[in-house]
Amino acid sequence: VRVRRPARLTTLGARLLRMRSALPSRGPENLQRPPLGPASRLGIPRPAMTAHSFALPVIIFTTFWGLIGIAGPWFVPKGPNRGVIITMLVATAVCCYLFWLIAILAQLNPLFGPQLKNETIWYVRFLWE
Amino acid sequence: MGSMFRSEEVALVQLFLPTAAAYTCVSRLGELGLVEFRDLNASVSAFQRRFVVDVRRCEELEKTFTFLQEEVQRAGLVLPPPEGRLPAPPPRDLLRIQEETERLAQELRDVRGNQQALRVQLHQLQLHAAVLGQGHSPQLAATHTYGASERTPLLQAPGGPHQDLRVNFVAGAVEPHKAPALERLLWRACRGFLIASFRELERPLEHPVTGEPATWMTFLISYWGEQIGQKIRKITDCFHCHIFPFLEQEEARRAALQQQSQELQEVLGETERFLSQVLGRVQQLLPPAQVQVRKMKAVYLALNQCSMSTTHKCLIAETWCAARDLPALQEALRDSSMEEGVSAVAHRIPSRDMPPTLIRTNRFTASFQGIVDAYGVGRYQEVNPAPYTIVTFPFLFAVMFGDVGHGLLMFLFALAMVLAENRPAMKAAQNEIWQTFFGGRYLLLLMGLFSVYTGFIYNECFSRASSIFPSGWSVAAMANQSGWSDAFLAQHTMLTLDPNVTGVFLGPYPFGIDPIWSLAANHLSFLNSFKMKMSVILGVVHMAFGVVLGVFNHMHFGQRHRLLLETLPELTFLLGLFGYLVFLVIYKWLRVSATNAASAPSILIHFINMFLFSHSPTNRPLYPRQEVVQAMLVVLALAMVPVLLLGTPLHLLHRHRRRRRRPTGRKQEDKAGLLGLPDASVNCWGSDEEKAGGLEDEQEAELVPSEVFMHQAIHTIEFCLGCVSNTASYLRLWALSLAHAQLSEVLWAMVMRIGLGLGREVGVAAVVLVPIFATFAVMTVAILLVMEGLSAFLHALRLHWVEFQNKFYSGTGYKLSPFTFAAAED
Repeated sequence: VRVRRPARLTTLGARLLRMRSALPSRGPENLQRPPLGPASRLGIPRPAMTAHSFALPVIIFTTFWGLIGIAGPWFVPKGPNRGVIITMLVATAVCCYLFWLIAILAQLNPLFGPQLKNETIWYVRFLWE
Repeated sequence: MGSMFRSEEVALVQLFLPTAAAYTCVSRLGELGLVEFRDLNASVSAFQRRFVVDVRRCEELEKTFTFLQEEVQRAGLVLPPPEGRLPAPPPRDLLRIQEETERLAQELRDVRGNQQALRVQLHQLQLHAAVLGQGHSPQLAATHTYGASERTPLLQAPGGPHQDLRVNFVAGAVEPHKAPALERLLWRACRGFLIASFRELERPLEHPVTGEPATWMTFLISYWGEQIGQKIRKITDCFHCHIFPFLEQEEARRAALQQQSQELQEVLGETERFLSQVLGRVQQLLPPAQVQVRKMKAVYLALNQCSMSTTHKCLIAETWCAARDLPALQEALRDSSMEEGVSAVAHRIPSRDMPPTLIRTNRFTASFQGIVDAYGVGRYQEVNPAPYTIVTFPFLFAVMFGDVGHGLLMFLFALAMVLAENRPAMKAAQNEIWQTFFGGRYLLLLMGLFSVYTGFIYNECFSRASSIFPSGWSVAAMANQSGWSDAFLAQHTMLTLDPNVTGVFLGPYPFGIDPIWSLAANHLSFLNSFKMKMSVILGVVHMAFGVVLGVFNHMHFGQRHRLLLETLPELTFLLGLFGYLVFLVIYKWLRVSATNAASAPSILIHFINMFLFSHSPTNRPLYPRQEVVQAMLVVLALAMVPVLLLGTPLHLLHRHRRRRRRPTGRKQEDKAGLLGLPDASVNCWGSDEEKAGGLEDEQEAELVPSEVFMHQAIHTIEFCLGCVSNTASYLRLWALSLAHAQLSEVLWAMVMRIGLGLGREVGVAAVVLVPIFATFAVMTVAILLVMEGLSAFLHALRLHWVEFQNKFYSGTGYKLSPFTFAAAED
């Protein structure tokens, strides 16, 4: 397939174009994405973009930090430093959990998407998927 | 809770030390380091105290020790550190130590004096020999051969009788830097009547006093005329030259000089051997004696703080001692006084002054307690912020520093220090900056560890993002559905992914920030919004925690009215306004999605309108009846202000008036019940103002209303205005993390990326990358680790000291500094 090269193409874009022209053309009518992207031709099996659930990470991390912060204090051995160690465990669990939670909540319902350069779009489209 | 939660109980203990055993008891206490002596003789000057004579003797001994130490150091020897346990010697040993040291000092002085004199003599002899040995032969020869013509003066003397025309000589030596001046002056003064020749010695001679080598200049002046001779002698005297008699037949003279100088050198050698012997004895005697006398002086200074009982048989001391150590104290006193056959007792007495604060720490918690104490040592038994600081300080640091790579470097550096902490080389290091870093190794360890965690959440490793999980944004879906053909892409350099398009946004990234954002041009728009909201949330949580910690203080000090009249209004104000802001942020995150992103409500406008009770038509509400809820919250918060302002003072006044109205017997009963004995402290009326008024506020005899109202007004204003400013202050978490990320990004883009992109041929890139990586590494450590690390450390510290601690901590106490010899031994 001959592709008209635009004037402002960089070397990276040129290389991508050469790769892309080696692949079968994928028009906009082809909405079914294969489970493995074209990068598999290079021998690297890469999964396509998978949908991330929200509930699963919440359950996992809540359990994890809950174990550390709520169950952990029961297992601290008796000694002069028991109080300090319990304080440390609870504080660590609270801080880290809160920080992770803020990060995931902020991305739950994005109001705008990333603005990418055209080269990046080429690259990501054909190498990540 | 652990022992760090609040200060340990510290009791005022009165010690009765019989005079015979007082010294040994105090010396034993110094070895243990359990008690802090209170000065009972504060009104007495230092010269009038009981043991001033002994202290003075110790000080004189110390002066002699200093002299001996200087002599040892001047000889280039080193004093070995003292070994073994050296308790303070009994007073009768002091005399023996004094005699020995005096003897040694005197011997040393004598020997030094002798050595000095011998060396001066030797120097003279050497100079003489050198002068004689100098080949001024041309001049001498000249005087012989041209004797006749030389004897006629070059200038006709103005009239007068014929002067003595015999040639005389003056020979001597002068210091090199004075020689030209001497020559010039001789020429100006005696021109025409003398011939002077100056020669430099071949080898330098040592100056007898300073030991510096100096090359002297010898001169031989031949002159005629008596007056000229006198002038020359005056001039050479002026220049401090050494003059020697000069005769023409010198061989025998020189041999005699040689022999003399050899003998002198032998004597000098003997003297120096004796000197080194004396110095050896000093080296043996001095270190233990120094330690012993220092301890003795410390014991006498402590004894000076005790007062004498009326029968003069006993010294009474008042000390602060941890209640837990009281049995150990009593046992120590019993043991040391048993040797003398008497018994010393210690018993606890109640005190009205505020005791010092004692918090026991181990090497891990010491650095965290240190940064809290740097702000101010806590009041006796108030809540100690240190156990929480162990985690929140590194965490807030990490929020500002978040980068996996930098955090890992910091963690490894701290780990190296921690694993090597027991090596003696670490403790012996003299470099102050290294000592600072070494002292904070556990702090750095935790800071590095938390930074690795926040680095994973920010998804930054040396400013590069990593896709641990696949990204939640699908570019292909966007491209396919929007018809982004290659031609279209070639025409548009920047395109935005729209989350409204199906399949583009597939869900939030499970751990941290999605890696697609690091490729985006509007990376900062998203991150700024995220980090600002994160800062406000963390700030409100931290401050609310601080207010809650105040509850423990109120309960412990028995001021339960403050729970209702201060803590509750404070929490309502803080959470009603800023907690509500946090709620708005989280609600918007959960409920507002991209479907109606164009008309998404702005939290900022809502918040501003909340305070102004106004309404923006373009800003739709987040939830129904939002305005009603907000109005209620503002009214509630404002209603809390008068409660905070007037509640506690009115309550205190009311209680004070109620107590006054009761019969006075009840008041005395109260007092007696609380104190047990009538106040037995000898020092009770001499207490400082800072230490007074600690524990029992209710027992204040006088309650000044205006003071109470003023104090509460200041507290209210500080809290309410502080809520606003402190919440905004937490935005520094956003600011510093942004700065760190940008610096890191710039360093990568300007250094490493250019380096990695250079050279297509194999080998060129490899060679070029070595200096480029070196630059990258040096700048990473210098700018990003050291500079940014210090900056984030400072800001995290400020957040703790000001924003967190002013909600509950007063920091107006003083530390228990026990009487111990350990500090004196350094």
